Amino acid sequence: MRQALNDLRYRLRALFTRDAMDRDLDAELQFHIEQEAAKHVKAGMSPGEARRVARASFGGVERIKDDTRDVRGLVVLETLLQDLRYAARGLASRPVFTAGIVLTLGLGIGANATMFGIVDRLLFRSPATLREPGLTHRIYASYDLDGDRRIDRNLAFPVYRDFLASAKTLDALAAFQTRQIPVGDGAETREMRVTVASASYFSFFNARPLHGRFFNAAEDSIPAGEPVAVLGHAFWQTKFGGRADVIGQTLRINQIPRTIIGVAPDGFVGMSDQGVPAAYIPISNYAHEFRGPRYTGNYGWSWLELVARRKPDVSIAAAEADLTIAYYESWRREAAGQPGIGSPDSARAAVNLGPVQINRGPQAGRDAMMARWIAGVAFIVLLIACANVANLLLSRAVGRQREIAVRLALGVSRGRLIRQLMTESVLLAVLGGAAGLAIAQWGAGALRTFFFTTGEAVAVTTDVRTLLFAAIATMLVALLTGLVPALQAGKGDLASSLKTGSREGTYRRGRTRTVLLVLQATLSVVLLVGAGLFVRSLRNVQGFRLGYDADRIVFAGANLRGVRLNEAEAVALNERLLLAVKEVPGVTHAAVVASVPFWSNEGRGLWVPGVDSIRKLGRFVLQAGTSEYFAATGTRVLRGRAFDENDRAGTPRVIVVSDGMARAIWKSDDAIGKCIRVGADTAPCSTVIGIAEEMRVRSLAEEREYTYYVPAAQYDLRLDPQLFVRITGDAASFVDPLRQRMQREMPGAAYADAMPLGRLIDPQRRAWKFGATMFVAFGGLALVLAAIGLYSLIAYDVAQRTQELGVRLALGASASDVMTLVMSSGVRLVLVGVALGGGLALWGSKWMEGLMFQQSPRDPLVFGFVALVLLAVSLLASCGPALRASRVDPNVALRGD
Amino acid sequence: MSLDLPQGTLDLLILKALSLQPMHGWAISERLHQVSRATLQVPQGSLYPALHRLERRGLIRAEWGASDNNRKAKFYDLTRAGRKQLAAEEDAWEKLTTAVALILKQA
Repeated sequence: MRQALNDLRYRLRALFTRDAMDRDLDAELQFHIEQEAAKHVKAGMSPGEARRVARASFGGVERIKDDTRDVRGLVVLETLLQDLRYAARGLASRPVFTAGIVLTLGLGIGANATMFGIVDRLLFRSPATLREPGLTHRIYASYDLDGDRRIDRNLAFPVYRDFLASAKTLDALAAFQTRQIPVGDGAETREMRVTVASASYFSFFNARPLHGRFFNAAEDSIPAGEPVAVLGHAFWQTKFGGRADVIGQTLRINQIPRTIIGVAPDGFVGMSDQGVPAAYIPISNYAHEFRGPRYTGNYGWSWLELVARRKPDVSIAAAEADLTIAYYESWRREAAGQPGIGSPDSARAAVNLGPVQINRGPQAGRDAMMARWIAGVAFIVLLIACANVANLLLSRAVGRQREIAVRLALGVSRGRLIRQLMTESVLLAVLGGAAGLAIAQWGAGALRTFFFTTGEAVAVTTDVRTLLFAAIATMLVALLTGLVPALQAGKGDLASSLKTGSREGTYRRGRTRTVLLVLQATLSVVLLVGAGLFVRSLRNVQGFRLGYDADRIVFAGANLRGVRLNEAEAVALNERLLLAVKEVPGVTHAAVVASVPFWSNEGRGLWVPGVDSIRKLGRFVLQAGTSEYFAATGTRVLRGRAFDENDRAGTPRVIVVSDGMARAIWKSDDAIGKCIRVGADTAPCSTVIGIAEEMRVRSLAEEREYTYYVPAAQYDLRLDPQLFVRITGDAASFVDPLRQRMQREMPGAAYADAMPLGRLIDPQRRAWKFGATMFVAFGGLALVLAAIGLYSLIAYDVAQRTQELGVRLALGASASDVMTLVMSSGVRLVLVGVALGGGLALWGSKWMEGLMFQQSPRDPLVFGFVALVLLAVSLLASCGPALRASRVDPNVALRGD
Repeated sequence: MSLDLPQGTLDLLILKALSLQPMHGWAISERLHQVSRATLQVPQGSLYPALHRLERRGLIRAEWGASDNNRKAKFYDLTRAGRKQLAAEEDAWEKLTTAVALILKQA
C-alpha cells in the first residue's frame, strides 16, 4: 500500500514537474561525467582525452536519459495528457461545434439527472433517518366490498390496538397521520400540517431530539394521554426563532394548549418525504379531544396509517400471515359490536406489508407514475442526444480520414488512435456532464415544486446519489458517442484511404450514420406522439365539465375550533354568514353546502322501490345546499327544475339526481316523479323533481360515481358552516375580503377561512399538465436534435458528392433535378423513422392508456400530425444543403480537390 | 577479467553501497568498481535508471547537496523501507549462493 502510494506520488511529480525533472537528470549525468573526467585528469590524461574516455565509459547519454524517463512511468500518463491536450486544442479550435455538442449532451444529462433526483425521492430512497429500512413496512389491509377488492392503508385506532396486542412477528408498530390542524392563538392561527403519532413512532428513526425529548408511552396512554407537543425543526426556527427555552412553553394546537416538550432535529422528516410537519402530538390526546373517550372502540373511524418493523428472523410472508390473523380477530370484534358488516372470511380480509414509500406500494399516485414515464422520456432524449453527437463526431472523423490514414502510415498504432478519439468523447461528455448538472440544478428547482408540495431544499450538486448518477450517465455518454467513431476510424483500409482520399469515384454514405439518423427520427416520433397525446389529454381535462363553475366559486368556511353551538345557533350562524358574504361587492350568490369536491363528501343510504341493494350500482354522493345552491355553483339542470326557497322544512321532500344516477337506477324510464328514500328505508319519499349534470367530487375519471342534490332545509342535516360563494372576476382576489367579512361573525375562538375552489381541483389536473409540459418540452428537444442531425448528415453528403453532382450538372441535369435528388435521400430516411416510430408508439400505447384522459392512445389525428411535422422538418433541414447542391459549379467541382 | 552482473543484482549492490553513507551516482559507481577489485563491470550509465527506479519504489531518496569538491551533486540515501529491503535481499542472496555452491561442489 505504502509502496503504491509512493509510486503514485513519484509518477505524479514526474508528470507535473516533467521539465524540472529533465533538468535535474541532465545536471546529474553531467556531474557524473565531469567527475569521471576529473579522475582521469588526475591520473595524467589531457582534459580533452579525459572527457572522451569518460563519455565512452558512461555509454549513450540520450539512451540512458530515455531509459530513466521510462522508469518514471510517464508513458501512460503522459500520452493521456497529450491526448487530452490534443483533444482540447481540437475542440477549442471549433468553438461552435464544441458548444453545440456540449449543450446537446448537457441537455440530455441534465434532463436525466433532474428526473433521477425526483424518481429517486419518490420511489427509491427510504425516508431519511429511518432505521432498518429493509425490515420496515407500511401496512395495507385489503378486503372485498360491494364486489370490489379494496385496498386501504387507513385503519381505525382499535385495529391498531388489536394488532399491537396480538401480533407476534413484529419488533415495533406505530400509527400516525398527518392532518391540517389549526396551530396558534387568535388572529395568528394558521392551519398547519401536524403529525398525530403513537409514542412508538419515534423508535423507527435514528434521531434524537435537538432539545427536550420525544413524547413517551405514558403521554400517549389511553384514554386521554397528555397535552404535549414536539415541534418540527423548521417551524421551531420560524415561529420560535430557534430558541432553546421553548421547552415548557405552551402552544395551542387544535383546541387546547399543549406543552412543548421537545424539538425534532433538522432533517427529521418522519415517514413521508412530503415535508416536515409543524409539530407532533400523541394520538390518544388528539383523538380524545377530537372524538371523545369512545374513540378507543370506534372501528368506523379509519384515519391512521400503520408502519411496522418485522423481527429480523421473520419473513415478510410470515409477518403478513400473523397480521392477517390479527386482522380477522379484530374484524370479528368489530362485527360483534356492529352487526351487518359481514365476516372477514366472506370479505377475504388480508393484510399486506408494502414498502414504506407510498409511491412504491399498491396506492402509488398518478404523479409517481408520471415521474416514471418522464424519466423514461428523459432517457430517450439522452439517447437521441448521443446519436446526434456520435453522428457529428463521425462526420468529423470521416472528414479526417486522410489525416488518420497518414498517421497510421507513419506508425501510430490503431490503439493509440482509438484512445485519442475516445479521449475527445470523454472530454466532451465531461463538459456536457458539467453543463448537465447546471441544467439539473435549475430544472430541479422548477420541478420539485411540482412533485414536493412543501418545497424542501433543492439539492442537486450536493446530493451524492444524483451526482453519482450524473457521473454514470456521463460515462455512458462518452462510451456511446465515442465508440462508434473510434471503431470506425480503427477499421478503415489504409491503402485505399490514402489513394482515394475524398475524391472517391463512387459515393457511399456510412451505414452507421444512416442507422443513427433513422434511430433519432424513430425516437423523436415516439416522443412527439406522446407529447400530442398528453396535450390532447390536458385539453380534455381543462375542458372537462366538472358539474360546477370551479373558477367562479370561492370556498369559504368557519373553523369553530371547539366552540359548541346548539342546533339553532348553528343554523343562525349559517344564515348570518350567507348574508355577510353577500355584502362583499362582486358576490352574486351563496349557498351553504354539505359536500365539497376533493375535500369532503357526504353519503346516505338510499332505497328505491323495486331496486334492491342500490349500493351495488355505484357510489352515490349526497350534496345538500341552501336554496341558492344551483345559482351559486352554476350546475346545470338538464330537465325538470332545481329546488328553491319554496322547498322548505315541512313541505314534501324533493330531490334532484344526476343524469348518470337516473340512468343507473331507472335505466330508460323517466326518473322525474320517482320516489327515493334517503337515510332509511322508513324515511318519507323524496320525489325526483329534476335531473342535473354530474358533480365531480372524488375523481375526474371515476365512472360509477353519482351525485344527488337535496335542499338542506327539508332533511335533518346539520350543515357545517362551509359555503360556496359565487363571484364575478378573479376568485383569488375575493379571498381576503370574504375572510375579513366573515371573521366578524365568528363566535369565540372560531376563525374564518377562504380559498378559490379551483385550488382544490388543480392537483387533479396537474398530472396531465405536467405530462403535457414535459412531453412537449422533451419532444420538441428531440425534434430539434433530429433536425440538426439530418441537416448535418445531408450537408456532409452534399460536400462529399460535390464531384458527382458536378458531373450530373455537366451532363445536363437541371438544378431542380439535383435538389430533388438530395432532398429525397434525406426525406426517405425520415420516412423510415416515421414508420418505425409510429409502430413503436402503437405498440407502446397499451401502457399509455392509464395516463390518458378521455383520449385514445392510438389517436390517428396525433399520429398523422406527428408524421407531417417530421416530414416538414426533414424538408426544411435538407432544403439548405439541397440548394447548395443545385448551385454547384461543374467546372469547379470537376477540377477541384 | 570482468564479469557482467546477473539480472537484478545491481539493485542489491546499490542498496548495499548506500547502506554505509549517502552518496552521489558517480561515487556509487566508483565504490562498486573498487570494492569488487575491478572484477565487476557496471556500465556507468545503467546506474541511473536503476537509481530512479529505486527512488520510485521508495527504497532510496534523493537530495541535492554539495560534493567533496564543493559542487552541486545529487545524493542518494536509504529509506527505512530500503534498509528492510536490503536485509531481505542480502539474506536471500546468501541462501541462493550457498545452495548454488553446494550443488556445484556435490555434483
